[in-house]
Amino acid sequence: MHNGEEEIPVIPTHQEVAADVMGRYQELGRRYWGWVTVLASLFLLGIVGFVIRLADGFDDRSNWGYHVATISFLVSTFMAMPIISAGLRLAKANWRRSFTRVTENMAVASLLIVLMVIPALAALPPLEGRMNIWFEFPLGAPNLWNMMSFGTLALIGISLLWTLALPDLAAARDHLPPSRRQRIVRWMAMGWVGHVRQWRVLYMGSLIMGAFYMLLYPLIQTLMISDFHAGLLPAWKDAILPATQVVASLQAAAGMTLVVMYVMRRVAGYDRYFTVEQFWSLAKPLLSFSLLWFYFWWASFITFWYGRQPGESSLIQFLILDSWRGPMMVSFFLNFLGPLIALVWNPVRRSIWGPALVGAGIVVGALINQIRLYVAAFSVADPTQHVLDPIPAGQWPGPPDVLIVVGAISGCLLLFMLVSKLIPVISIWEIGEGLRLVKVRKFYGRYLRVIAKSH
Amino acid sequence: MATQAKPSTDTNHGTIGHKWAMVIDLDRCTGCQACVIACQSENNVRFNEESAFHEGRVMQWIRVERYWEHVPTGKQVRDDRLAEFPNVKARFIPILCQHCDNAPCEPVCPVFATYHNNEGLNVQVYNRCVGTRYCGNNCPYHARSFNYWEPVWPESLQNQLNPDVTVRTRGVMEKCSFCIQRIRRATRGGGEVEDGAFDPACVQSCPTGAMTFGNINNDKSRVAELAKSERHFRVMEGLGTSPSVIYLKKVDGTHA
Amino acid sequence: MYYRRTLTDAQINDELLGTVMTTPLRWVVIASFLAVILMGTFSAVGFMINQGLGVTGLRQPVFWGFFITNFVFWVGISHAGVMISAILRLSQAEWRRPMVRAAETMTVFSLMCSLSMPLIHAGRPWRIFYWVFPYDWARGIWPDVRSPLIWDPTAIITYLLSSSLFVYTALIPDLAIIRDRSTGWRRPVYGALALGWHGNPRQWKLQGLAGILLSALILPVFVSVHSIVSWDFGVSLVPSWHVTVFAPYFVIGAVHSGVCAVVTLMIVMRKLYKLENFIWEEHIDALARLLIVVATGWMFFFWLDLIYALWLREEQELTVWMLRMFEPPWSWMFLVFFMCSYVIPVPLWMFRRVRRSFTMMLWTSLLVNVGMFLERFIIIVPALMRKGPMTFDYATYRFSPIEFTVLGGSIALVAFLLLMFSKFFPLIPLWEEKEGQVLADSVRVGKLDVPGIVKEH
Repeated sequence: MHNGEEEIPVIPTHQEVAADVMGRYQELGRRYWGWVTVLASLFLLGIVGFVIRLADGFDDRSNWGYHVATISFLVSTFMAMPIISAGLRLAKANWRRSFTRVTENMAVASLLIVLMVIPALAALPPLEGRMNIWFEFPLGAPNLWNMMSFGTLALIGISLLWTLALPDLAAARDHLPPSRRQRIVRWMAMGWVGHVRQWRVLYMGSLIMGAFYMLLYPLIQTLMISDFHAGLLPAWKDAILPATQVVASLQAAAGMTLVVMYVMRRVAGYDRYFTVEQFWSLAKPLLSFSLLWFYFWWASFITFWYGRQPGESSLIQFLILDSWRGPMMVSFFLNFLGPLIALVWNPVRRSIWGPALVGAGIVVGALINQIRLYVAAFSVADPTQHVLDPIPAGQWPGPPDVLIVVGAISGCLLLFMLVSKLIPVISIWEIGEGLRLVKVRKFYGRYLRVIAKSH
Repeated sequence: MATQAKPSTDTNHGTIGHKWAMVIDLDRCTGCQACVIACQSENNVRFNEESAFHEGRVMQWIRVERYWEHVPTGKQVRDDRLAEFPNVKARFIPILCQHCDNAPCEPVCPVFATYHNNEGLNVQVYNRCVGTRYCGNNCPYHARSFNYWEPVWPESLQNQLNPDVTVRTRGVMEKCSFCIQRIRRATRGGGEVEDGAFDPACVQSCPTGAMTFGNINNDKSRVAELAKSERHFRVMEGLGTSPSVIYLKKVDGTHA
Repeated sequence: MYYRRTLTDAQINDELLGTVMTTPLRWVVIASFLAVILMGTFSAVGFMINQGLGVTGLRQPVFWGFFITNFVFWVGISHAGVMISAILRLSQAEWRRPMVRAAETMTVFSLMCSLSMPLIHAGRPWRIFYWVFPYDWARGIWPDVRSPLIWDPTAIITYLLSSSLFVYTALIPDLAIIRDRSTGWRRPVYGALALGWHGNPRQWKLQGLAGILLSALILPVFVSVHSIVSWDFGVSLVPSWHVTVFAPYFVIGAVHSGVCAVVTLMIVMRKLYKLENFIWEEHIDALARLLIVVATGWMFFFWLDLIYALWLREEQELTVWMLRMFEPPWSWMFLVFFMCSYVIPVPLWMFRRVRRSFTMMLWTSLLVNVGMFLERFIIIVPALMRKGPMTFDYATYRFSPIEFTVLGGSIALVAFLLLMFSKFFPLIPLWEEKEGQVLADSVRVGKLDVPGIVKEH
C-alpha cells in the first residue's frame, strides 16, 4: 500500500484480500511440511539436551542456568508479541493490521514456556535465608504463584488469540472442503456468523483481555526476575529490574516481529502484506525501545556505581564490569548502540532490510542479555551471603545448554507453524476493517490517503 | 573517582607520608563531653543555647550520642520512660567526622568545597561552600553541621576566638577537621611528626584518655597499635565508607 | 464523535488573537492580584536571604525540605510540554493542536520557576553563579562534574533552552499574523520577532522540518532531565533514596503531574478566554485516556519502589516506610497522596461522562497535582528524618511560613508568567488549528461519516 506522487494508490478490496489469504491457507504444501520437519527435529534435539540436564538432577543449580535464561528469552520475545498488537490496536495504528495475527499466533508458544517453568522452579533453592518478594507470606511461594501467573498469562494469550481469530476461522470453515481440518476449524469457529452482537462481544472481549494481558505481563516479569535472578544474588536490591526486563521484552518482541515478517516475506511470499510501511512504522518504536533499554540499564548502573557500597559494587563487577563483561558489551551493542546508529539514518529506517537486520540483532542481543542475567544468578553458589564473595566467573554453555536453547526456540516456532495450519496467519477481518476506513483523494495535486479514526 | 575494587579498610589509602587516624576506646568513655567543649573552644564553633537543641540547629563538630540499653535483653530502648534503673544503662559513643577514605560527601559537592587531601583528611573549604547541603545529606554519620544563622559571639567572648581557625559565615557547612590547624603547625617543618607530638583538642582534653590520635602509617604509633586490638570496629562499615576513626568496643560483663 | 466545527481563517485569527489585540478587564484584575502575591513572595525570599536559612523549618538532619520538594514538583510539571508537543506531534495525534503552545509555554515557565528553588535554598545564593559557570579560572578549579547538582542545572538549562526554541519556532507564523495586524511600536517588534515570515512553501517546509527535528531531539532531553533530578536522590546513600527505580518513577510521575497541569490549564484558559470553539470535550477526553495509561504505569513503578524497598528487610528502610505509612501526620499525608494521585481520579476517568465534563476534569487534575506534591514531599523528607541507624539524631521537620509562602508564590509566578505571555502571544497556535482543518476529511463507512485525516504515508 504505497503511494507516490505519480501513481494513484490502489486500495485492494476486502474480497481480494480474503481470497488471497484463504488461497495461501488452503495450500499449505511441501514447503510448509519441510519447515515443520526441520523445527520438529531441532525441538527433539532440545528435548535430548533437557533430558541430559534432567539426568544430573537439581542439586547443582548452575546446570539449569541456561534453561532458565531460555525461558526468559522466550517470555521476552514470543510471549510479549501479543502486547505489540494489543498496544497498537489501542493506539489505533492502521499499519498494524497485516501482522497482528502473526503476533497473536505466537501466544501458543506460552504452552511450551509454561512446561519449561516447572523444572526451573525445581532448581530454585529454598526461600529461607535469602531475599525474596514473598516476605512473611511464603504460602505456596514461589512455585504456586509462578505457575498460576504463567498459566494465567498463557490462558489469556490463547483466549485472546482465539477470540480475535473467530471471524477468520468462520471464513476458513466456509472455505475448506470437508476434512478433519475443516471439522476442527468448525468447532473452533464456535458458530460465528458475523452478527452485530457477536462483533460487540469480540471487540469488548479483545479489549478487556488485551488490557489484562498488558497488565499481567509486567507481573510475570517481576516474578521471574525476582525469583530466578535477584533472589539468588546477595545484596541485589535493584528495584528497576522488572521494568528493565519489560522494556527489553518490548524491544525484543518488536525485533522478533520484524524478523518473522522478513522471513515470511522472503520464504513464504507475503510481501504484499509486510511492506515498507510495516517495517518503517515498527522501526520507530524499535528505536525508542532501544533508547529506553539503555536508559533503564543506565539508571540501575549509575545508582550502584556511584554509591560505591560493597555489596552493590561486587554485583556490578560480577554482572557488568568483570565476569560477564563480554556478554554485557555484546548485548549493549546489539540492543542499544547498533540500533541507535542504524535506525537514526532515514534510508535504513525507511527500508525493509534495515529494521529487519536491526531486529535480528536485537533478538540475538536479547538472548545474550537474558543469559547474562540468569546464568549468572544460577552460578552463585551461596545465595544467603551478605555480600557476593567470591565473585564467580562467567559460564560458557555446555552442549546440552546449546541444544536446550535451540530446541526451545524451535519448539515455539513449531507451535506457531502448527497453529497457523488452523488459524490463518493474516487477519482478514482486521485488514478488511482497515480497508473500510481508508479512501484516496486528491490533495493539492497529489493522491493521498485519508485514514479515518473511529472513536 | 573511587576504584571499583572493594574498598579496603586498610589505611595507606593513597596517602603520602602521614595518614591521620583516631581511635576512641568506648570502654573508657564516660560521656563527660569534655571533648565537645574543647572542640568548640578550639574551632570557634558557635554557642548552642537550649533553643538550638529544640530547633535542631545545634552546631557540634563532635557530639556524644547517648543510647539507652535494656540490660537484660541488650536491645535498645527508644523511649526512656519505658525502663528504669537497674534495667537500663546508658551507652555513649562520641561521633565526629570519620574522615572516610571513601567519603560519600565528597563527590556530591558541586563546587569542590570538600575533598580528600593526601594525608587522609576530608577537608572542608569554607570560602568555596555555597551551602547546597548535599554533603550533609550524604553523610551517614550526620557529622556535618550547617550554619543556619550568622554565628554571633557575645562581646566579652570575642577575644576567646582562636586566630588559627576561620570564623564561618551563615550558609556554610562545617565539620570536624581533626584540628587541621594543629596538624599544619606540627607538620610545618616537613618530615614525619613524632607520635604524640600534638593532638586535636578533643583528644587532648579527654580525661580518661579514651581518645588517641596519630599517624596510622607509622606502625609504631599508639593509633596503629590500638587499631589492631581485637575490640576494634568502625561504625557502619558495611556502607563501604572506610572511616579513619576506629572505635574499640566496650568491655561488658553482662553479655558479649 | 470528532465532528469538526469548521471556522474560517478570519474567525480563527480574530478569536485567538483577541487577548493579544485587546486587554480584557479580567486580565488586569488577575494580573494585579498575582503581582501582589509575587511581591509578597519576593519579600519573603529577600527576608530569608538576608536573615539566613534559619527562618525555614530546615534542621539537622533534614537538610532538604520544602524547597527541594518544590523544585522537583515544578520540574515534574514541566514535562507535560514535551509529552504533548513532541510525542503527540511525532505520533501525529490530531487532538494535540490546541494544547501544544500552552503546554510548551508552561514547560518553559515552570522550568524557570524550578531553577529558582535550588538558588534560593542554598546557604549563599549570591555565590551560586560560580556553581554553573567555571569558578576561579585563575586557579583552575572547575565545578565538580561528579556531583548530581552539576548535572541538574546542565540538564535543566538544556531543557529550558530547547523548549524555548521550540516555543519560539512554533510561534513564528503566528507572530507574522500579529505583525501584519499591529500598528505603531508593536509592528517593528513583532516584525523583528517574526524573522521575515511570509508563509511561502519553502518556509512552511522548513517549519515542518524544524518541528519534527526539535520534537525528536527534545525527547532524550525530556527523559534525562527528570532522571537526573531523581539521581540527586538515587546516587546518595540515604536509605530509601538509594533506589534504582527512581529515574523512570520520577519521569512517569512527572508526566502524570504535568499532563494534569495541562488539563487544568486548558480548562482555565477555555473559561477565561472563552475558547469554546477550540477546546472541546474530545481534547480532555483524549488527555484523560492518556492519563489512565500514564497513571497506571506510575502505579507499577510505585509498587516496585515499595516492594524492593522492603526486599532486603533492612531496618533503616523499614523505619522510613513505617514512618511514611503508619505514623501520623505522615500517614495522613501518605493516604491523601495515594487517594489523590490514583485511587480517586483513575477510576473516575474510566467513565466517559467524567472524561467529557470540564468541571470533573478540572477537579480531578487539581487533585492529582496535590497528591503528586505530597508524593515528592513524602519521598524526600521522611527519609531524612530517619536517616540511618543513629536514632539519637532522628528529628521531625515542620515547615515554616516562609516555605509555604514560597510554594504559593511559585504557583503565582507560573500563572503570572503565563498570563503575561498570553498578552503578547496567542496561547493556541493559529496555524496548527488551520492546518488541522485543512487536513480534516471523512470517510463514509456504511451510514456513518467517520472523521479522518489526510496522511502522507
